[in-house]
Amino acid sequence: MKTSTYLKLLSVFGYALMVQPGFAQGLGKPSGEQTVKERTAVQSDNNNGDRNITIGKTNVDPEKGEAANPQILGLEIPLLDPSSDTVSYNGGKFDVGNNALVRARFEKYLQQNPDDSTEAKRYRKKMRELLKLTQKSARSRREVGSETLLEIGNGLYELNEYPGDGGISGSLASAVASAVAVQYANRSRHRRNDAMQKEIDDLVKKTNTLTNRNTGRGQKAAKTVGKSDTANAPNTSVTNTYTIAHNTKKIATLEAAGVKNDADSIAALELSKINFQSTIISMLMQRRYDHALIGAQVYRHVFRDGDTTLKMDSESPAAKLFESGTGLPPTVNAMATLASNMRHEIDQNMEAVTNMLAQNKLADATQSLIQAVAVGEYMQSVATFPVEGRRRIAEFWSLRRKALSTMNARDYGALEEIAAKMKAMDPDFDDSMLTSYCAGRKAQSDLHLRNAAKALKAGDEATFNDEITKAGAIWPKNPNLEKGRQQLEKIDNQDSVRDEFRTLVERKEFRTIYNEQDKFDVVAIDPELKKQYKDAIALIGTIDGMLAQLDVAAMQDTTMGPCMAYEMLVEQGEKDARYKDDSKYREALNRFALSAHDFTRALENARNCESRREYGSALSNYYRAQCLYPRSTMAGEGVKRITEIVLKAKF
Amino acid sequence: MARKRRSSKDKKSQLPMILGSVGGVGALVVAAAMIMKPSETPESAPESRFSIADYRQDASRLTGNSYRLEARIENIESIGNERLVAVSLPNNAQERLPLVVPNGVTNRVNLTRGDSFVFYVKCRNGKDEQGLDVKGIMLVEKVENM
Repeated sequence: MKTSTYLKLLSVFGYALMVQPGFAQGLGKPSGEQTVKERTAVQSDNNNGDRNITIGKTNVDPEKGEAANPQILGLEIPLLDPSSDTVSYNGGKFDVGNNALVRARFEKYLQQNPDDSTEAKRYRKKMRELLKLTQKSARSRREVGSETLLEIGNGLYELNEYPGDGGISGSLASAVASAVAVQYANRSRHRRNDAMQKEIDDLVKKTNTLTNRNTGRGQKAAKTVGKSDTANAPNTSVTNTYTIAHNTKKIATLEAAGVKNDADSIAALELSKINFQSTIISMLMQRRYDHALIGAQVYRHVFRDGDTTLKMDSESPAAKLFESGTGLPPTVNAMATLASNMRHEIDQNMEAVTNMLAQNKLADATQSLIQAVAVGEYMQSVATFPVEGRRRIAEFWSLRRKALSTMNARDYGALEEIAAKMKAMDPDFDDSMLTSYCAGRKAQSDLHLRNAAKALKAGDEATFNDEITKAGAIWPKNPNLEKGRQQLEKIDNQDSVRDEFRTLVERKEFRTIYNEQDKFDVVAIDPELKKQYKDAIALIGTIDGMLAQLDVAAMQDTTMGPCMAYEMLVEQGEKDARYKDDSKYREALNRFALSAHDFTRALENARNCESRREYGSALSNYYRAQCLYPRSTMAGEGVKRITEIVLKAKF
Repeated sequence: MARKRRSSKDKKSQLPMILGSVGGVGALVVAAAMIMKPSETPESAPESRFSIADYRQDASRLTGNSYRLEARIENIESIGNERLVAVSLPNNAQERLPLVVPNGVTNRVNLTRGDSFVFYVKCRNGKDEQGLDVKGIMLVEKVENM
């Protein structure tokens, strides 16, 4: 059987969990209305002793028009989608790897040590022997109560004593015993019918004789035999008539009893078959493939009429599903084949797990192992899987679980870290989908934050709140959300901030605004204040940039650098009076003036002299300044200005 | 080298009592004249040492004084026939002294940039076009080649 068939069969037997009461609860049924409207259940009529079992009704969601999962014995079959590892059940889809019950069982399995106890070894050995014996019995003479059947039954009761068996062997043994008992009961009824038929035949014969006497067709012969009968002839005739009537009534009674016995035998046989088949199906569902295989082979031994057809509606979806899964009609033989192939597939799966672990392919090994455990938890190859392999897979599985929970928590930063760890453990692990998903969600969140920032600048508080909410919903731990929170606080405090801002502008303390620009950017909501805010930030930014450049220049040329810096600062101060209001500008101006002391003193003297019309001295001082810094604009302009005055003057 | 040429002031001895003092002052003047002996004097007037630092500080104080300067022309600016030369004095290349060279005082001396000359100058005040003072200007009276 190919792997695809194996996977289809997984869907048929749905991890066999459906037959367990806690399965539905364990799946963690999602919210939403259950689409399954009707269910088919076992309906039994105890009065008639008949039992009508309907298997395979289809549930259809009238609104969506989707066919729900088929049912067996009134229970919905979970369908596995191998492409996504999801199981469809009860109107919802569940990830096999993220299913609470499967997860719990798998984790329990990973934490367990292989069962290598003496009892376990003895159990497994006995099971192997029974499997061989049942295979052998298939070739031997089939007879109810044969030695082989007795040995199989005893073997099953022996297996039942091992606690790990869970009473499955006992159930199968009981089913076998029950079927055998029915067979014996039918034999007994058959013998009784034979006896009754013989009695009927005798009665018919006697009745025919008496009838002949009454009608005289046998009188002559009678007279020759008994002469004294002539006198009593009328009385004898009456007596015969009563006897004939009695015999006729008894014959009818016996005939009815015989018919009833036949009907009882047929009904008991059918019921026995159904019970046996149910036991085999139940074992398949419970993933007890060894037991199912034994049961299927014993079935043919117990019921010798050759009828192995499952009591299933041939047109039902379940029957069709069974056929499509196995390619065979729904028979006990098909179940035997199914169980046998499941065992084979699980063994191969476990071999693949071992090989993948040797190649460090932890992701694939984990996926294969969880499928093997989910399908064949009780198989020997699964139960004896070494502890070292379990530990490695448990480590990887733990990361996978953490990734799922982190994804649920929408902590994409942490999720990327986990993906990186998984990639480090298994180089073949495909983390591209995970990382792409994280990157996309983070980008979405950041995009909303950007929109929020835009809204804030535009003064649209409603949009700002909306965008912040969206960003937080997508990525709650987005580090940029803190900035949004701070901006929210600013909005709340914007009235006082506006007042403070206006005061600072009035005092021309632009550097304070610049130093606390994050605090004051909220005033940008007001168009007028926005311009003032931008101007203040631009001004101080320009001053700081210029001062940084001048510092570098002054350090590179300690002679003329300070002169150049001083002159540039003075010029800028003349151009824009706001420069002179800046403390850092003033401090730099004083610093450079001190460094270029001779130059600044010459310029100052020149200006003083010029104001007193001492043009000779003024010109001489400008010359002095020009000597110290030949590119001085101020000195050059002063020389030009006074030269013109002097040359036009009269002496 | 610069020497100041003192202008003569008539000092009439009105009080015989202070003749002795005048005599003392005269002796000092003689002594000073001996110390600041001019290297070349176009006129017979006395000359004194010239300090450009003093000039930069307050040129008005030097008004009326005459000097003989040996200087090198660093720059020449002119408007019409008037020229203003910036000269540097020996051993003081970091300073410039502005000298106004009126038309006709150079005779046949060709003032060229980078060359040194002997300038006979006098510190004077003038008036600009609006009639406002133009103080402390060194006016060249005579130029000689070195």
